[in-house]
Order: sequence, then structure tokens, then C-alpha cells
Amino acid sequence: MIRHLFKLIWNRKKSNFLLITEIFICFLVLFGVLSLVVYNVRNYTKPLGFEHENVWLLTMRPSTDSSALNHQNLEQVLQRLHAFPEIEHVSLSSSNAPFAFSQMNNNLSYGNVKDLMADFYEVEDDYDEVMQLQVREGRWFAPQDNASHHEPIVINKALQQQLFGEEDALGKVIPVNDSTNYQVVGITDYFRAGSEFAAEGPAFFTRINLQKNPNSFWNEVLIRVKPGTGIDFEEKMVKQLSAIGKDWAMEVSTLEKMRQNKAKLTLVPMIALGLVCAFLILNVALGLFGVLWYNINSRHGEIGLRRALGAASGQIYRQFIGEVLVLATLGLLLGVVFAVQLPLLQVFEIESVVYTIAIVGAVAIIYLLTVICAFYPSRQAAAIHPAVALHEE
Amino acid sequence: MITLKNIEKVYQTKSIETVALHNVNLEIPKGEFVSIMGPSGCGKSTLLNIMGLLDEPTNGLVEIDGTPISNYRDKQLARLRNQKLGFVFQSYHLINDLSVLDNVELPLLYRSGTSASETRRLALTALEKVGLSARTKHFPSQLSGGQRQRVAIARALIGQPEIILADEPTGNLDSVMGEEIMNILLNLNRIDGTTIVMVTHDENMAHKTGRLIRFFDGQQVSDAKTATYNFQQV
Repeated sequence: MIRHLFKLIWNRKKSNFLLITEIFICFLVLFGVLSLVVYNVRNYTKPLGFEHENVWLLTMRPSTDSSALNHQNLEQVLQRLHAFPEIEHVSLSSSNAPFAFSQMNNNLSYGNVKDLMADFYEVEDDYDEVMQLQVREGRWFAPQDNASHHEPIVINKALQQQLFGEEDALGKVIPVNDSTNYQVVGITDYFRAGSEFAAEGPAFFTRINLQKNPNSFWNEVLIRVKPGTGIDFEEKMVKQLSAIGKDWAMEVSTLEKMRQNKAKLTLVPMIALGLVCAFLILNVALGLFGVLWYNINSRHGEIGLRRALGAASGQIYRQFIGEVLVLATLGLLLGVVFAVQLPLLQVFEIESVVYTIAIVGAVAIIYLLTVICAFYPSRQAAAIHPAVALHEE
Repeated sequence: MITLKNIEKVYQTKSIETVALHNVNLEIPKGEFVSIMGPSGCGKSTLLNIMGLLDEPTNGLVEIDGTPISNYRDKQLARLRNQKLGFVFQSYHLINDLSVLDNVELPLLYRSGTSASETRRLALTALEKVGLSARTKHFPSQLSGGQRQRVAIARALIGQPEIILADEPTGNLDSVMGEEIMNILLNLNRIDGTTIVMVTHDENMAHKTGRLIRFFDGQQVSDAKTATYNFQQV
């Protein structure tokens, strides 16, 4: 029967061409949207590598250009922050704090690996406590690093794998320029600070040493507050800090709020694309339904004939469902040929499993869609009385 | 072979009740070639549909080989149609998108246990029997009316049915083609012993068969052996 169906569809290829094209295009759009969804969902389910709850980000904008004065005020601000009983831990941070709309990266080279681009985060010794980072191997920054000949860095697992492969990364020295070398002192499991939906990329932390940089200024402070600390404290804190950094603009945001804002950036286009895709699928479904309805109405004679030759109504039903599945298979085969090029060519450097899941998902949805669309017209075809069908012809 | 007892067929719409057949009693023995005649609308095709298990009578009993089929389900009726009956229609009812060979193979598609190669062999034999073995790859649109009807006969033959039900098989053909088709049917009846029931408007064709039944207004008005039916004619 399957051979017969393929023969029938092949011989009607001209009239089926548009339907196959429609299924093909629908598959491609669905595949694209599903790839995006699978990519984001897979990232979302992976650990961030830090705890963002009860962490605030204080942003300070000094009004004067005096580096020395600003530095002095900054030290006072930090001292004041440490003194608040509501605050557990404090760490200066470069502008690319978790969930911020800012990125800093640098090229690293080691051995055969050249110019590997990695995100870097300037942080203080308390950062691991603020963000509750887990160091898998080695250690986090500590005062002993003040005496280090090289600049200590803590790297994430992704950077370790891409830069050192199977080699032990701890203690390795990475040349940066003529005067500076990095030395790996610790390795974290995960660290994805960009967004919950972003893939984990290579990243490393460098240490802020305020004493060593008397004219430097960092305008972001990450603060871990005690659970339950609310807006009252925020007002009190900003008021007291404003007394130190006179005329400084200060802004406090929670990482939770920043996380939500960052998530919107991914979710909004994804939802918009999803709606476009749903609209397209609805159109394809209506088109399929209409074409099948028309097909069945114009094939009453054939239905009557098949019944006369010995087809039971169930066989007529299965034939029409089968024809739609064959049509879908042809459209999908074409689509899959295009879709598999993406994992084969490593397009967008996304894991192959994302494309594989998207292909399987899109194929399953299209098959389901075609079966649903074919269900009612096929049932109608099966219910046609053979004598009436033959008489109509 | 086929027995019809007190058959009535009434078509009912909301406002009109049309009696298509009234109190029809018929027995078609094995090996007979019966023609049914009557004016348009007298119930000939309805009768053929009931005999062919394509329609159910409103009242009455249909027996095939002595077995009443009134309680048969759709699947059982379909199997019976597939195994015992062959159909030939006035408008051929060929599927235009299938080749001659594929059209002929159709009945065996619904019969389990026949391999693809056996189906092919049987189809070629059936086409040879109707003289169309050179046209296996053609499509119906590439054939003349007479050739199409021969394909339809080959399709009816492939399942080696005991009964062929032909609804005006020469109705769309000129006299020469009609003769050709009639000769094929006569050969099938005489040589293979196939029972044939043929609805026709053509007196000449009807008189070539062994028995002529006339219908008028849904009722059987005559049933007689024909004098001219003999083997020499074939």
C-alpha cells in the first residue's frame, strides 16, 4: 500500500507540488524557531554558577575628575558599606556585573591556542562570597596574592577546556604583554553572567587591588544583603553614602530586577517569532485542510471505485491519511536536507544536539499537524457511500 | 449464486419518498449471463448495486452462495466484493493518475497474501486476455474508449471473481468497440464460466446473453431465456 501511495503522489506531483512546498517552508520556519527555543531552554536549565538573590548593584558616578579624591571617597564608601549590619559581603566590580548590558573581553593565547576571546571580570576578594561562587579546583583570590609575581586569575571550566584542553590549568602562566602575565589560581564550575539564556563562554576573573592602584576608580559595587533586607535600608544606605561622595549620582538595582530585564531581551523576540510561527502553522493547517477537503470532494468516483474493488471504509480512511503523510514526508525530506547542513557546517557554533532536537521536534509537529488536518476529511471520505460515490461520477 | 428475495429499495428525502425497487425476486445461477433492461430510472443500476453489495436494500434479503449477507459488516462486505465480485462500469472508472498496469492491479491491493510479483503476473495475464498487453505503461488518457473499457474488464478479472457485474459496459462506445467488449464478456462467460450480470440499453447486446430480465418502474416485468444465445456466436 505504501508503494501504491508513493506512486499515486508521484504521478500527481504537479498538483501536489504547492502542498509539498508549503510543508517544506513550514518545516524550515518551525525548525528555525525550535532551534532558538531549544538553544535558550537548554541554556536556561544549565546552572549560572552564582546566586543572584539578595545581591544589589550600587552604581556610582562621581561628579569630579579628580582620580585621587574619587579613589579616597571610594575607599570610604566601601568601609561604610562593610559597617552596615544588613550587609554580608561587598565587592567592587567592573561594569560588566552579572545581567548588566555591558561586556568586557580579552584575547588569551596559550600553547597552540591563539587569541581565544574570553570575557573578563574585575572583582575583589569578597566577590566569591557576594556571588556565592563555587571554586572547583584551586582557590579564590586572597590577600596572599598581593605578593604574587604574576597577576592571579580564576578561570571558568569553559576557558579551562578551550585553552588548556586536558592539561592541568592550575598554576599555568599565560602571557598577556611584555610586563604582565596571568597565573591561574582557581577554576570555577560554571559562570554565565550575561543572561540565563546565554551559552556559557570562556571567562576569567582578575583581582582588583585598591592599594596597588591608588588613582583607579571602579564605579560598581556588588552587595550581598541579609535576606529580607528591603527598600528602607536601600534609602538609608544611599543617604549615608551620598554624604561621603558629595554630588555623586548613586543608583541601586537588584540583580533580580536586572535578570528580569535581561530575560525580556531574549523572551520578547522569541515570543514574537513564536507567534509568527504559530500564525504560519495555522495558515498551513487551514491550507492543508482546504486542499484535502477539495481533493476528497473531487475524488468521490475513485473512492466509490476503491470501495467496489474491495476496500473497507477503514482502508479508505487510512489511504487518505497515508497520502497526507507521504506528502508531508516528501516536504520534510527536502527540509531535513537543508536543516542538517547547519550542524554539519557548525553554523553559529551551536551544539549539534540543539539542531537535532529542533529537527526531530519540527518533523513531529508537522506530522501531527498533517494527521490532525487530514483526520476529518479522511473520515468524511471513509463515510462516503460507495453507490452514491459511483453514481456521482 | 446470487439470490434476491422480496427486495425493496426506497430513497427517502425530507419531503419525497422514491421507490426504486419493489418486490424484486431473482436468482442468478452460477455460470449464467444475464442482461437487465429497462428505461432510465427503472431501478436497473440500483439492482446492480444491491447485487454488488454496494448498496443495501430497504427490505428483503440478499444471498450470495446461499448465505444471507444482511448481517455482514463493512469489512466482511468489502472482502466479499473483493473476492467474489468484479465490476465494469459505463464510464470505466479508471484512476487517471495510475498506469494501465497499476489500475489493473488495484483489486489485489485490498487482498492480503498476494505478493507484488504475483500481482504483476496476474495483471499482465488479465491484460493479455483483453488484448492490451502492449499498453501496460500507458495512462488512461492515452487510450481510446474501447481500450479503457478493456482495462476495466482486465481489472475486474484480475481477482478471478465468480461474478462480473457490468453496468452498461458498451454504453459509451461505438458499435464496433461495443461488439469487441461484448465478445470479451461472452468469452469470459463461455470459456471461464464466469457469471455475468449486465445492465444494458442495447437490445442487440441483451439478446446475445442467455437471459433477459426487463424492469419498469422498479418492478421486474419479464424474465426470459433468449433464443439467440449460443456458443457459436462467441
